Amino acid sequence: MNSNIATLHSYLAVAAVLVGIGLVGFLSRRNMIVMFLSAETMLQGVSLSLVAWGRFHNDLGGQMLVLFIIALAAAEAAIALALVVTMFVRSGKLDIAAWQDLREADQPPFEEADLPPEPCDEPAAWPHLAPAGIEPSTSDEKENYRPKM
Amino acid sequence: MIEPWIILALATVLGAVGMWLLLPRGTGRGRAAGAAFALAALGAWASLVPGLGDWLSNSLFGVLAAVTLLAAGAMIACRSPIYSAIWFGMTLVGTAGLFLLTGAEFLAVATLVVYAGAILVTFLFVLMLSQPEGHTSYDRRSWAAVLSAAAGALLIGVLSMTLTAVLRGPVATAAVPQTVEPTAASYPLAQLGTDLFTRYVIPVEVAALLLLAALVGAAVIIGPGRTHPEHEPTP
Repeated sequence: MNSNIATLHSYLAVAAVLVGIGLVGFLSRRNMIVMFLSAETMLQGVSLSLVAWGRFHNDLGGQMLVLFIIALAAAEAAIALALVVTMFVRSGKLDIAAWQDLREADQPPFEEADLPPEPCDEPAAWPHLAPAGIEPSTSDEKENYRPKM
Repeated sequence: MIEPWIILALATVLGAVGMWLLLPRGTGRGRAAGAAFALAALGAWASLVPGLGDWLSNSLFGVLAAVTLLAAGAMIACRSPIYSAIWFGMTLVGTAGLFLLTGAEFLAVATLVVYAGAILVTFLFVLMLSQPEGHTSYDRRSWAAVLSAAAGALLIGVLSMTLTAVLRGPVATAAVPQTVEPTAASYPLAQLGTDLFTRYVIPVEVAALLLLAALVGAAVIIGPGRTHPEHEPTP
């Protein structure tokens, strides 16, 4: 019995940390997709605790509830991603701070501070090959475009 | 012997500082220190969990729990949303492993199938919507990092404290009459299916309705009339 309680304790502790990490991500990250992933992490934590309780009581109710949580998460993902796409189309970025007009009336606005440049902000450097044949006509935009992640 | 609450308070403070350092703050400095702080907090916190003490008998659980928690931490700490999505997939794999360890085989598979599909879709969304010119400013600086890290660490601390108090107290031990160690025979998958379509048949129908409503709702939200308001015919 003691080991059962210890097992339950371990699972619940892991679930608690998952919920906490998801909370931090949801509160602090500004990318709407990452916020969505953080909310899903919180759901995972709750599911884990439900399954652990179900095992502790030797009852299938916990697993059943998690089954419905998964269905609910699918519905939530559909709605959330539709909303994200709509908001992206309207504001042009995934930043949740673009919608800070919806804040409470007495809250100060969030101001974007200047950021130091990243190491990958250097201009693109392409290798130079020996010219051969006729030079095709390309625009500057095409030559300087370099996708970076 | 140090009192458990001192260790817990220390872990809470360390965890808050570590998570604050890990969050994108505009500079890349201090992220290694943040990871060290967060790991130290995790270690101090794990020393209080009785099931984690015996590493040999619980090594599988320990590995799975570590994978899950580290991947979740990396998910909120990564600046690129693509890496966040991949780390979230790792969290899902860890959670599915934990489900499997608990005896919830169907849930493990369902988590992988449903969420992996969702993750793939999210991944596609990130690829479509992310800016090609490096990290965006909103991925590089998070807002209210101090407050949210403190809130998350406090939540973890309070939940762990409650767990320790309740599960070690005399109330819980008295309230548990007998729990059978789950075996393959006591958790049959057929029982889950039978329960699902007899006892829980009305919730299943409601969930089906909900999924239909979500489908229609997503289509309405993203419909062409909403996304291009300037193209609407003027009255």
